[in-house]
Amino acid sequence: MNKIRAVRNLRICSKDCLCLYVCPTGATDTETGQIDFSKCIGCGACSKACPSGAISMVPYQYPKQQLKDELVIAKLNKLIQSKAEQEQMAEHIYNSSNNNIEKQLAKAFIRANRLMSEDLYRESGFMLPQSKNTKDFLESLLEQANEEILKKDIEKLIKLLDFNE
Amino acid sequence: MKKYICPICGYVYDETKEGVKFDDLPDDWKCPLCGAPKKLFKAEAIEVIVSEDMEEETLREMNYAEISALCSSLARGCEKQYLEEESKLFTKLANYYKNKSKIKESVSFEELISKIDKDLEINYQQARNIASEKEDRGALRVITWGEKVTMILKSLLSQYKDDKEFIKNTKVYVCDICGFIYIGDEKPEICPVCKVPSFKLFEIERGA
Ligand code: SF4
Ligand code: SF4
Ligand SMILES: [Zn+2]
Repeated sequence: MNKIRAVRNLRICSKDCLCLYVCPTGATDTETGQIDFSKCIGCGACSKACPSGAISMVPYQYPKQQLKDELVIAKLNKLIQSKAEQEQMAEHIYNSSNNNIEKQLAKAFIRANRLMSEDLYRESGFMLPQSKNTKDFLESLLEQANEEILKKDIEKLIKLLDFNE
Repeated sequence: MKKYICPICGYVYDETKEGVKFDDLPDDWKCPLCGAPKKLFKAEAIEVIVSEDMEEETLREMNYAEISALCSSLARGCEKQYLEEESKLFTKLANYYKNKSKIKESVSFEELISKIDKDLEINYQQARNIASEKEDRGALRVITWGEKVTMILKSLLSQYKDDKEFIKNTKVYVCDICGFIYIGDEKPEICPVCKVPSFKLFEIERGA
């Protein structure tokens, strides 16, 4: 069976602490507010007891990335390309303008375009950080990287992520 | 009597109910739900038929700006899974590649508008056709949201062209989920595009 662990949504948590009493390992009581993964045995008691629905049980291993059709990916990529260019254009307007209203609008455009390309990527095969697609992507970045610190960070990510394919 | 529909939030202006012809509304009339300008409204039931253009696309190499966007997208994915360290590393990569991506030499608003037009007139239509054919509802979702947000971008640029100070006495918010830009004093209760509650809409401050 796939192992699971508890995670706490800090925004929803009302801090009224039922989870502290029911956890058999003390994993729910931490200074950061997040559950101590190294102690959690995945029994689910905290999640059942939580009156706010703030605790979810999540798997260590996620299911495989949904397959995406090549043509769909190609069309979404066209949009990504365009949004990335528009983000850069807005960035340029932001940097070269000295009118604070224009800058404010440019900032909103930078943000909006970035959010749209991020979302488009999620629908073109990169929903899951643990997927083979992400792995291949990181490996190709590593191949091209020529700065030591950058290489280190990419290598660290590849090591940390629990790839499922 | 006709009905006019807001392409952003779906609000219906029904001439029969309102007793005022849509055309007779003032030019600065806005969607009462999401603030979309009158210009964007469309009369009900007009099917747009787009010529099918399904040429094979070859996948190109990603440029730095795109690599940056993919990294920040994965950072969000890790954040949602409570993978803090991984999320931070992806954000670091996103910033690194963003700085590496070349900044344009000069940009005119016209260029930006023509990119937006191309998205609205060609790219979204083509993507929608393929996504429907392949029954990819996730892709259809991102296309539907993105198209609406892009329409708003277009309308903001044209308002800005007419009046460089049109946002002077009000506020700017961006939905952190879909990218919708809302201009108004108070944020709407939910995002008119993706329907997320207002706490996911963040204000874009004006610098001094
Ligand atoms: S029981 Fe739920 S709401 Fe209460 S402290 Fe624990 S996580 Fe927070
Ligand atoms: S799942 Fe069980 S062990 Fe893990 S934090 Fe909750 S109560 Fe504690
Ligand atoms: Zn939204």
